[in-house]
Amino acid sequence: MDVELIEIREFLANHAPFDQLPDAELDLLPKRLTVRYLRRGSAFPPSDDAEPCLYILHRGAVELRDGDGGLISKLAEGDLCPSPCGKDDTDMAALSGQTAEDTLVYLLPCAELERLRAEHPAFAEHFDDSMSHRLRKALDAIKTDTAGTALMTVQVGELLSRPLVQASPDISIQQAAGIMSEARVSSLVITEQGRLVGMITDRDLRNRCLAAGLPPTEPVRAIMTERLHTVHDDTLGFEALITMSRLNVHHLPVLDEQGVRGVVSTSDLVRVQSANAVYLVGDIHKADSVETLAAISGKLGELQIQLVHSGATASQIGQAITAVTDAITLRLLELAEEELGAPPVPYCWMAGGSQARREQSSHSDQDNALLIADHLSPEDDAYFRMLAQRVNDGLNACGYIYCPGDVMARNDKWRQPLKIWTKYFNTWIKRPEPMALMLSSVFFDLRPIYDPEGLFGELSERIRTLSKKETIYIAYMAANALKHRPPLGFFRNFVLIRGGEHDHTFDIKHRGIVPIVDLARVYALSAGLQETNTLERLRAAGAAKALSADGAANLVDAHEFIGTLRMRHQAEQLRRGEKADNFLSPDDLSPLERGHLKDAFALINTIQESLGQRYQAGRFA
Amino acid sequence: MTGLLLNWRRRLRLRRLGDCPLRDYLATPFPRPGLDYRDARYVAVDLETTGLDARRDQILSIGWVLVDGNRIRLGSARHRLLRVAGAIPADSAVIHQITDDEAARGLELSAALPELLADLAGRVLIAHHARVELGFLGRACKRLWGKGLLVRAIDTQAVARRLLERRQIPFKASDLRLHALCERYNLPRHGAHNALSDALSAAELFLAQAAHRDSGRGMALGDFL
Repeated sequence: MDVELIEIREFLANHAPFDQLPDAELDLLPKRLTVRYLRRGSAFPPSDDAEPCLYILHRGAVELRDGDGGLISKLAEGDLCPSPCGKDDTDMAALSGQTAEDTLVYLLPCAELERLRAEHPAFAEHFDDSMSHRLRKALDAIKTDTAGTALMTVQVGELLSRPLVQASPDISIQQAAGIMSEARVSSLVITEQGRLVGMITDRDLRNRCLAAGLPPTEPVRAIMTERLHTVHDDTLGFEALITMSRLNVHHLPVLDEQGVRGVVSTSDLVRVQSANAVYLVGDIHKADSVETLAAISGKLGELQIQLVHSGATASQIGQAITAVTDAITLRLLELAEEELGAPPVPYCWMAGGSQARREQSSHSDQDNALLIADHLSPEDDAYFRMLAQRVNDGLNACGYIYCPGDVMARNDKWRQPLKIWTKYFNTWIKRPEPMALMLSSVFFDLRPIYDPEGLFGELSERIRTLSKKETIYIAYMAANALKHRPPLGFFRNFVLIRGGEHDHTFDIKHRGIVPIVDLARVYALSAGLQETNTLERLRAAGAAKALSADGAANLVDAHEFIGTLRMRHQAEQLRRGEKADNFLSPDDLSPLERGHLKDAFALINTIQESLGQRYQAGRFA
Repeated sequence: MTGLLLNWRRRLRLRRLGDCPLRDYLATPFPRPGLDYRDARYVAVDLETTGLDARRDQILSIGWVLVDGNRIRLGSARHRLLRVAGAIPADSAVIHQITDDEAARGLELSAALPELLADLAGRVLIAHHARVELGFLGRACKRLWGKGLLVRAIDTQAVARRLLERRQIPFKASDLRLHALCERYNLPRHGAHNALSDALSAAELFLAQAAHRDSGRGMALGDFL
């Protein structure tokens, strides 16, 4: 067969929606095209084409503006001009375009396009699908790309195969054992009027009944474990396993909205997969020095690579890596307490920023603070200063470098009793100044890492009450959230960093991820939500109607897609033995990925626009 | 050569030729140099050859594509491999990726050339460094039908050189290569050393050169000749 126009065929095959066409159709397609060259500054689409055509950009760039001259969209290599081929979502009549660079376009007659749409449903879907729909499909493709580490993606609810086996606390131990043996289960959930009150396991029968000489006629209440740790049915498998390993238990009751749904056991999870993050956490609990911890944390890069390769998404990777960071933080606190003795008054170790949001990658820096019980005496601070110094140093040794803004517990300012923290937040919320806004990404994403006496709940409650009331403050936050805008397209001349170390790249973190994280924070604060994780914030905001359900779902997908591209980029760098960064070259993306990334950016932009209007953010910028 | 003179020579040669593809080609008048280039029609042509000497070397393949005004018609693209007498010199086989076996399966020049001439009738030839194409095609016509090829031609390399000289921009010989110029005009790089790919590149280069010289009011074809 002749390979005429093979390059044009390949170009088409690499761009949506032509990638959906069968080979035979792709072979013929180049011959149906006409080529035009439009100098920079030419009207687009050109006015002198006799028949209506679909325009496919091969080289160059086009800017499309609405009736008021506002920039609607930028088209680049591989993009289609929202077609003048009738009845499509964008009304070209109202738009005017201009080539922003010298541009080479392929023209496909509308009649030809109609035929392709009629004959190839998968191709036609591109034109029928909305942008958000396309993005969701791309995300699904990533998730199913690799058979993968099921434990990273499986929710414990999916592991509950058998019906819940439960009994009343008043039956005898012997009866309970009979039920367990008949149902062939190693644990029995004890409920009272549908409410979870306890659980017994094989081990309890042995240790608390037989070995303790308790008569089996006693009510099962006597040997059941009452204060239970539970997980939700949407908890990820590896999180459940980490919880078990930390608590040294083998069974966890699983809850859903209705109540207890079943029990997940270590063997259920291990059957799914023997996972690596879990082993790291196990090792961390056994580590007895900072050096050992540092050696373990050295494997984080490897973990990120493995997770990426097994098809995990950004949020799953973020959760896994943060779980390791949390474990290291806890272990450092334990080691410090062993050395310094018990604390004079209760305290809470708080993480801010990406650790608080559970969105760390393998090379995040540390943001943390110490919340101390109000009844501390002045001389007690010496203890906490030493504690903080040890933990901050330990984290630094483990690769979580010191926070460049010195937001760390060793800083006197960020090691304060509850009453001072309350005062801080009161000031930040009532008088939102630039400095406060700068700190907002740290302190409005706050999570207790170690809080045995539950000090954090009080502070968090006060913050939510305050921030829900103060609408001016939310408006400032909204304006702040609009500072990082996603690019509208990819152009050598528009978006990319030029010159220097990061020549010809764009910063995927600040142009893609930070905008969504900032949006999620604003919506969470305005609705008084407790969540810190970006995806959880978005879902909760959608449920609380702070954000439309569609908008929330779209941002979730955009965050997952962009985040996953970033994680892959970093994993690739780590694999090559380079330092991981956020500077992505568009050349490293496939044309399809570029297309989806553009969709994701456009979705972010839409939500930013609507947030801007709602808070008239311009007034506070 | 002025328009009148070339068309006069065309008529003269027409009378002297017997019935043959070259005569059919010459029956259609050449486009007038005064025509707006946007109304003229073209054929962008590229040849791959065993060497640069039209007297000794042979044509390995011909690629061409029609251009109507400022639009390239990809449906008209043609690529013809030719049968070659004797073995292909190894170094040229490396460049063009055409092997003896492929060349043995190729067409006779006498079958391929009439096809090109039929497309060329009434059109302007576009080629990059056109001397090679004109030399080989002229030689082939002479051998087959006794007369050389009369054609109006645009050499995109000459257009580029004149433009650089007029703007007094210093340049190296390598700056005038087809792919260097394509890059300058933000044009895609098609596979090099394939006759059709290079013909397409030359066509795109011509559209780019014309777009950059045209202030929007059009230009005479003669300005590019």
